[in-house]
Amino acid sequence: MTAPATAQRASTTRPRRPRPRVGTFVAILAVLVITVWAGDGIDFDLAPLWTDFGRGWFIIQEFLAPNWDYVGRTIGPFIETLSIAVIATLVGCTIGLAMSLLASRVTTANPILYRASKIFLSVVRSLPDVGYGLLFFAIVGAGSLAGILALIFFNIGIIAKLTSETIDAVDRGPLEAADATGASSLQRARFAVVPMILPNYLSYCLYVFELNIRASVVIGIVGGGGIGSSISVEFARFNYSNVSAIVVLLIVVVFLIDLLSQSVRRRLT
Amino acid sequence: MISFRDVTVTYPGGTVGLDGVTLDITPGEFVVVVGLSGAGKSTLVRSINGLVSVTEGELLVDGVHVDGAKPAQLRRLRSRIGMIFQSFNLVGRITVLQNVLVGRLHATPLLLSLVGYFRPADREKAFQSLERVGIVEKAYVRASQLSGGQQQRVAIARVLAQDPTVILADEPVASLDPPTAHMVMRDLERINDELGITTIVNLHFLDLARRYADRIIGMRDGRVVFDGPPSEANDDVFEQIYGRSLTAEDVLSAEEEAAEAALEAQAEADGEDAASRKATPA
Amino acid sequence: MSAPTRPAPRPRRGAAPRPSAPSRLRYTLTQLGVLVLIIVCIVLVEAKWDRLLEAPALSLNYGGLMIEGLLQNPFSEPYSRYWTDAIGLMLESLQIAWIGTVIGAIFSFPIGFLAASNIAPRGVVIVTRQILNIIRAVPELVLAIAIMLPIFGLGPLAGALAIGVGSIGTLGKLTSEAIEAVPTGPGEATRSSGAQTLQTLRWAITPQILPEVIAFWLYRFEINIRASAILGILGAGGVGSLLAQVFERRDWERIGITLTVIVVVTVIVDQISGAVRHRVISGVPVPIGKAIV
Repeated sequence: MTAPATAQRASTTRPRRPRPRVGTFVAILAVLVITVWAGDGIDFDLAPLWTDFGRGWFIIQEFLAPNWDYVGRTIGPFIETLSIAVIATLVGCTIGLAMSLLASRVTTANPILYRASKIFLSVVRSLPDVGYGLLFFAIVGAGSLAGILALIFFNIGIIAKLTSETIDAVDRGPLEAADATGASSLQRARFAVVPMILPNYLSYCLYVFELNIRASVVIGIVGGGGIGSSISVEFARFNYSNVSAIVVLLIVVVFLIDLLSQSVRRRLT
Repeated sequence: MISFRDVTVTYPGGTVGLDGVTLDITPGEFVVVVGLSGAGKSTLVRSINGLVSVTEGELLVDGVHVDGAKPAQLRRLRSRIGMIFQSFNLVGRITVLQNVLVGRLHATPLLLSLVGYFRPADREKAFQSLERVGIVEKAYVRASQLSGGQQQRVAIARVLAQDPTVILADEPVASLDPPTAHMVMRDLERINDELGITTIVNLHFLDLARRYADRIIGMRDGRVVFDGPPSEANDDVFEQIYGRSLTAEDVLSAEEEAAEAALEAQAEADGEDAASRKATPA
Repeated sequence: MSAPTRPAPRPRRGAAPRPSAPSRLRYTLTQLGVLVLIIVCIVLVEAKWDRLLEAPALSLNYGGLMIEGLLQNPFSEPYSRYWTDAIGLMLESLQIAWIGTVIGAIFSFPIGFLAASNIAPRGVVIVTRQILNIIRAVPELVLAIAIMLPIFGLGPLAGALAIGVGSIGTLGKLTSEAIEAVPTGPGEATRSSGAQTLQTLRWAITPQILPEVIAFWLYRFEINIRASAILGILGAGGVGSLLAQVFERRDWERIGITLTVIVVVTVIVDQISGAVRHRVISGVPVPIGKAIV
């Protein structure tokens, strides 16, 4: 009737509850502290929602009534924005591909070159598109050239990071085979690495193209030509209903490009 | 002519891959290297074309030092040594023909190769290689669409396109089923007979080793423990090399027999379906 | 291959005809199309290409001035003021980005569930997705100009709210995609044990997507830092307004200092955020220096 003592002891001892992980606790605390500090720093106060709503509402009303007659005059700037985006995407993605080869240990054997490329790309990526807009505006003056150059630099950072991460994850087998035939590392990159990453790379290019359309609005505001300039001008003249007409059109264009890129993506895979 | 002179290979983690190996391989030999995983057979094969670096000792191929070779020298050397792998290592997204042309990259100037242009003589060589392994009709098919055996044949064609003096094979048939494995080994044997290319194959199937080799080298713990013709390599010798008694996994025909046995069991269980199942092609 | 068969006899040499190369027409047409596209765009753009020639020389000149500004003693006037202004405003940009991300995270989490086709009913999913699409299509800049600035006036709060609403859009989409990619097993098991819907979401789905979603939030924070610099130009607080000022005045020394502050702070925050992301996804601590660079 009595079970052996050892067997009983093994099955009824309950394990101690593990101590809660210090790391998670600290993380949550840090997040709360930072949030409070940040909220205080920017004077977070939602009171204006009901006190100043009236003043704001007047302006918002104008925004909600887009001036459709203005649409005709936006076609030109829109085409300019699209052209800027296309040129910047093509140039930026090509240079970005070359830089991504430098920024991956898989394709660059020299550790100094690799480190330098990664640091360079980190710096390039840390400046927002508007920073480049201002920079090139100061160098080449207002107009679409500033916008194109700004977007090119903006693109290089993004493409190089995304693509180099893909290259890092690539299947090494075919690379070894190419090495074994006596091919040089550039030849290996062209024939083994690039074909393997091509679908991912092209989808990054499409992503960057979409980003460029939106970014060129911003860059246009600081003087880079295209639809952004129109927004800036109309806003300064307080023609808010014109601005909202442009914005509605922008939403439509972005939506169409989204559809287009989806169908292209499907054809790629 | 391949010479190992007291070659030691120590991996960065401290593991010893080869331990003071000295041997010579004469041109035209068909050598099979056997041993347990980690015994050094893969290291031996891969050190010949420098995929694994030699830590001590000298390793010469056709009079050229592989140990301490500069990158440009190594590339030149590798262009004369062809290698096929267990996982075929083809670039799936490009065509069979383009994969074979990779074997001609060493002879193509950089700028031309970057735009994807190969000289007509190189393309002709690629086609001839494909014909020799009997898969030329798939030249424009994407490599990923081929079966395992077909991919390995394309890999052999890539090696042939290099016009090599040595062919290395690192477990070329481990991922293939028995009939295909025999096909690939027969291809290697035929190339060795007809073209006289020195062939060094790394296998863990002992019956294949005995059947196709001119010379068997047994490795254990990084040292050569057997070196002689297949006639001298009986099961006792293999047990010495492996340090344990042989199992069914060491013999390819065991796999074949197992497959047959499984099929028969299935046929019995299915009763009347047996006849139609046996008649269906694989 | 299930049954061992005799290997097929190989064709004799020369027996199989060489296949003809596939038509290159589509490829050539695509290349031509792209070329035409580029030329059309260059023509349409009416850019002042001649300025490009002067650009390198000018860049070197300005670059030199910027570096001069950097090398000046940061503790002497007026340079110490330049540095403290830049750093102070950059911190404000960080605050804006942080609050914006927090707002985005809090709201996008439930919205993500509403937009996930394996959780919410089809009608709800469609409506929610469209709302998210509209939010995503409108650049934060415009949100700021149109809604936040009029109501809240100039200042960082408007910027934070604009970024917050904008983040809801992208985070909502990414969260819903993560939810949809979740394997159904744990959810079914929880459901079948009698749990209610919210409980299932809390215990079966959320733990599976949490690492990925937290990684999204951190990545969004990095992006929002850049966004807050942009909004600053419009007067929504942060370092952007300073940037606009110094560029307008062509004060290259000060531009150099400001840009350096932006770059250094952004890179540092990126590193920390990247390391935390790695830790969250893989559950293994990573030393900060090794994480990205």
